[in-house]
Amino acid sequence: MDSGVPAPPRTGRSRFAAFGQYGGFLPAIVVFGVFFAAPLALIVAYSFWKVVDYNVVHDWTLDNYRYFFSVGTYARTFWATIWVTFSATALTIVIAFPFAYWLVRYVSKRLQALLLVLVILPFWTSYLLRVYAWLNILGPEGAINRFLHWIGLTSQPVSFFLYDRPAVILVLAYLYFPFAALTLYASLQRFDWNQFKAAMDLGATPATAMRKILLPQIKPGITTAVIFVFIPILGEYLTPQLVGGARGVMIGNLIANFFGVGQYTRGAAAALLIAALIVALLVVFRRSLEVRDAYAP
Amino acid sequence: MSLTEGKLDRADLLKVGAAGALGLALARPAYSAALRSEATTLNWLTWSDHYANDQLKTVSKATGLQGRPTLFSDNADAYLKIKQTGSQFDIVSADGLWVPKYVKDGLTETFDLSSLPVSKQLYSLARQFPFWQSGSNYMAYPFSWSTVQIYYNPKYVKVKPTSWHAILDKKYAGKISLENIPTDMMAIAGRATGAKKPYSMTTAEISRAKAYLKGLKPNVLKLASQNNEVVRALADGSAWIGITNLGTDDRVKDAGGPVVKSAYPKEGTVGFIDSESIVKASKHKDVWAKFINTTEQAPWIAKNFLTNGRPLFNEKAYKILVNQGHGDRARRLLYNKPQLALQMTIKGPAGDQQAYTDAFNEVFGA
Repeated sequence: MDSGVPAPPRTGRSRFAAFGQYGGFLPAIVVFGVFFAAPLALIVAYSFWKVVDYNVVHDWTLDNYRYFFSVGTYARTFWATIWVTFSATALTIVIAFPFAYWLVRYVSKRLQALLLVLVILPFWTSYLLRVYAWLNILGPEGAINRFLHWIGLTSQPVSFFLYDRPAVILVLAYLYFPFAALTLYASLQRFDWNQFKAAMDLGATPATAMRKILLPQIKPGITTAVIFVFIPILGEYLTPQLVGGARGVMIGNLIANFFGVGQYTRGAAAALLIAALIVALLVVFRRSLEVRDAYAP
Repeated sequence: MSLTEGKLDRADLLKVGAAGALGLALARPAYSAALRSEATTLNWLTWSDHYANDQLKTVSKATGLQGRPTLFSDNADAYLKIKQTGSQFDIVSADGLWVPKYVKDGLTETFDLSSLPVSKQLYSLARQFPFWQSGSNYMAYPFSWSTVQIYYNPKYVKVKPTSWHAILDKKYAGKISLENIPTDMMAIAGRATGAKKPYSMTTAEISRAKAYLKGLKPNVLKLASQNNEVVRALADGSAWIGITNLGTDDRVKDAGGPVVKSAYPKEGTVGFIDSESIVKASKHKDVWAKFINTTEQAPWIAKNFLTNGRPLFNEKAYKILVNQGHGDRARRLLYNKPQLALQMTIKGPAGDQQAYTDAFNEVFGA
């Protein structure tokens, strides 16, 4: 609002003070600019360029986006990706929540620490090895088939477990379980369990107490766990490549195909479409993450 | 620095950083000198079947040249890496018609093949591939070749698939394994549908090739990221058919798998003739010849054949194999018939890479 009072002229001293006030942000701005804004700007620019004979030509065009919106395969693959991501995230949370709940409520502090180490233990090996291990569990010669054969349920190996979407969902749930478990654990640990007990003292069943007291209070933790799991899975391509077979393809695999043969501009456009979806989801999730300002009137 | 308090303020941090940087700067010449006195490292962008670790160790001991392989799967991938990384690589392996593209685009350079004594061990035909001639020079050192054909498990596939169309049969649903190389799969589909130049198909030919792949898709178990995954799928019985290189029958057997047989489709097929080239931006071009001359010696090549089971161009190695009692195997895998390499459609870059990749993705997307 214009107060009608002319602003005092800026002196060297006041400029210095202004720099002192905001100068502290400089490292963050540089880091953000170099590692996020500049690469993103480059990807955006690529998505509007084209490739001729493996060379990126800086002719501005909407062709890449037009292509994705004109070919049904990409919409279907996009939808399949969201479906797989949603299923894998749901499965991860469904497994991680009871685990974290049990850990916080029924396990001694000392054992909790040990179990948490066990949760992150798989991170000590490479991602690739962890996925390959599942090939040995789900494959025709794998543990599940051997077990089914041993108990006499099957006479021939069953190929159902591998090279399809259920395998992708299962392996992704395994890979991302630690992210969800640790986030939910941190959230549940901060919860005041006296409220839970009070609700039950006042006649609530455990299910009601959980639904009306616990879940609303750990909602930011659940949302964070969902974000940690859902968003990286959206861009997955290695797991579907290794265990998904021809039926388990996700959008990341098609993007990898573009980049693998130098079709950077197509790949950039597809990657940005995923990024747009992620941003939209973050906007939705943001409401669940809002924390009330303790000093708000 | 107030160590007793166990805290490090910003000024201390800057001092420590400056001291560290100074220390590194002072130590660098000594470190570089130490490195120079050790083996020269040659960065080699290649496939896993072009070398063996014991071979590299022995070569390093004998010559002071340490080959450091970095693997790739698709020629396009390697081409782009060389294009983008400049002098980071010294040697690059490439297939057939990719080699002239590297040279044309100024990424690799030609050389006098006859100046390498080891080249005398090659079949004479391999020293005269017309597509690798550049005046009196040659574009690459010939290594191995193979057709890409059908391998099938006779336990499940009762009729030998002698056509690319035979594997479209619904009874093979989810039982075919092949490598995820869009360009080559499109070229194979091109051969199946009668394209004249499978790597430079017209729009109509691309459409026909795409239709063929659409028909094949329900039968595809997985698009493997590496050739050994195709071998594995055939070995564990999850795949009945593999579209892959010569020698797969032996590799499946070595992996404890069943007997698989090869079938050569009547429409013809694609294949590779691969090689080693000098990267133009390499800082070690002067030692390239010495390295190749040592690594490509016949005893190593004979060993390579026994491990990887596809024909190579070193004729002297064939003689070693015959003397060692592996002649039958070598002949079965066409080692003694290098002229057959020129009958297949040789792998190369796609005329319109974008159209090829688009078509492939449109088929293999969800």
